Amino acid sequence: MTAVLRAVISSALAGLLGLDSVQAGQFLLSRPAFVGPVLGWLNGCPLEGARLGILLELLYIDFIPVGGVVPPNGTAAAAAAVLAHTAGLAPSLSFFVGLAAGALFSPLDYRLRSARSAWNPLVEAQVRAGVFSLRRWVARSLLIENAAMAAYVFAWFAAAALLAQVPGLARLYPGTDFAYALMPWLGLSGLYFRFRTQIYKKG
Amino acid sequence: MQAGWNYERFQNLGFAYCLQPALEKFYPDPEKRKAALLRHLGLVNTQPYMASFVAGNVAAVEERAAASPDAEAALKSMPGVKQALATSFASIGDRIFWGRLKPMTVQLCVLVWSAGGFFGWLFTGLDSPVSVALLFAGPGAGIAVYSAFAVYWRWRGLKVGYACGGASSCGLDCADWSRLIRRLSAAGFAMSLAIAALAFGLLWRANSGAAPADLAFRLGLPVAVMALHRVSRAYGRSVFFAAGLVLAGSLLLFSVLSFSPFKLYL
Repeated sequence: MTAVLRAVISSALAGLLGLDSVQAGQFLLSRPAFVGPVLGWLNGCPLEGARLGILLELLYIDFIPVGGVVPPNGTAAAAAAVLAHTAGLAPSLSFFVGLAAGALFSPLDYRLRSARSAWNPLVEAQVRAGVFSLRRWVARSLLIENAAMAAYVFAWFAAAALLAQVPGLARLYPGTDFAYALMPWLGLSGLYFRFRTQIYKKG
Repeated sequence: MQAGWNYERFQNLGFAYCLQPALEKFYPDPEKRKAALLRHLGLVNTQPYMASFVAGNVAAVEERAAASPDAEAALKSMPGVKQALATSFASIGDRIFWGRLKPMTVQLCVLVWSAGGFFGWLFTGLDSPVSVALLFAGPGAGIAVYSAFAVYWRWRGLKVGYACGGASSCGLDCADWSRLIRRLSAAGFAMSLAIAALAFGLLWRANSGAAPADLAFRLGLPVAVMALHRVSRAYGRSVFFAAGLVLAGSLLLFSVLSFSPFKLYL
């Protein structure tokens, strides 16, 4: 299987898993800790996929999706990171590529959510006309989210493949490797202070 | 529940979609069913797992209204009750699921991996052989525990909400939420301490041959990173800010100024 075909399948799978984030299920199948090893396994690097996934998860767990807040997207982050690695980037640089991909998905997600506001009068008009098929609107929402995530992840794969061709890129690796080695500690700090604050506030 | 989430009315489409089978049963007359469905296409915003408390409550009220000769009177208090419950359960659900259980799944993953002998989550350069089954067991354990809890409360919420439908406090007293939240916080904090102790213990062991000053430096670096995160939080910055600073500093030292590569462990 060629790398591009694998990337296409991985992007489509990321799109499916991404639906679990908000649109359907919410069983945490969209979290980086799961997406990382799944896509890593699919692309022949389960260990690195798992590592990228858990480290992204440790940082992304800092964001809580309360109210109308659109947090950075962990699925996009993990999928982009694993595919960036398969495209030829070192794991350390792939991690930071994933971090950026997840953060930059928020504006797209915001636009998708805003665009769906325009559906409300259309759905109401349809119900008034005696058509009770809400399923169609739900399916449309799932399909658009799925396609957006898949296209977004594949675009990051393509960008990473181009970046991997840049001469002298390896000069960055000593720096990114060192920063990557410190990321688990940054994540553990987030976990520690989250629960410490809760204990301090007594619930 | 959250399919079709939008900024104008939040979860209205998903909520109406969830209620639709019940409304079809209660209102065989298409005109009445139409009115009922339109009632629930208005604004709804709550925590997705706890939405079942609201849905069960609303279904019970709609059922009574459908059977009542004065449907308008039966439905009079429903919008207020729905709004009050949605807000209350959102607050409870956010604290239980997003604030506590979700981070605990990450802790569980790390603990399962560590119990299986995989420490790649801490040492980024470590390439020890590890089974794919173990790599999936970590996140799988978190997903199983979390989902079991979530499915249980979704089912229980629907049952409790339907049983006491119409009351504005319906379901709020079905569990000691404060105690549950306190216990989850305590469990999460205990796991955080255990993981921090494990991480520093592993780092200590990985540097066991190092000179005292070298060892102190290698143990001090993670502490400095944690302090950086703490300071960033204190100034309202996200973890990305701290990660960006670490990356910028590392690139400057090792890629621009060409310091010789340094590893946290020997």
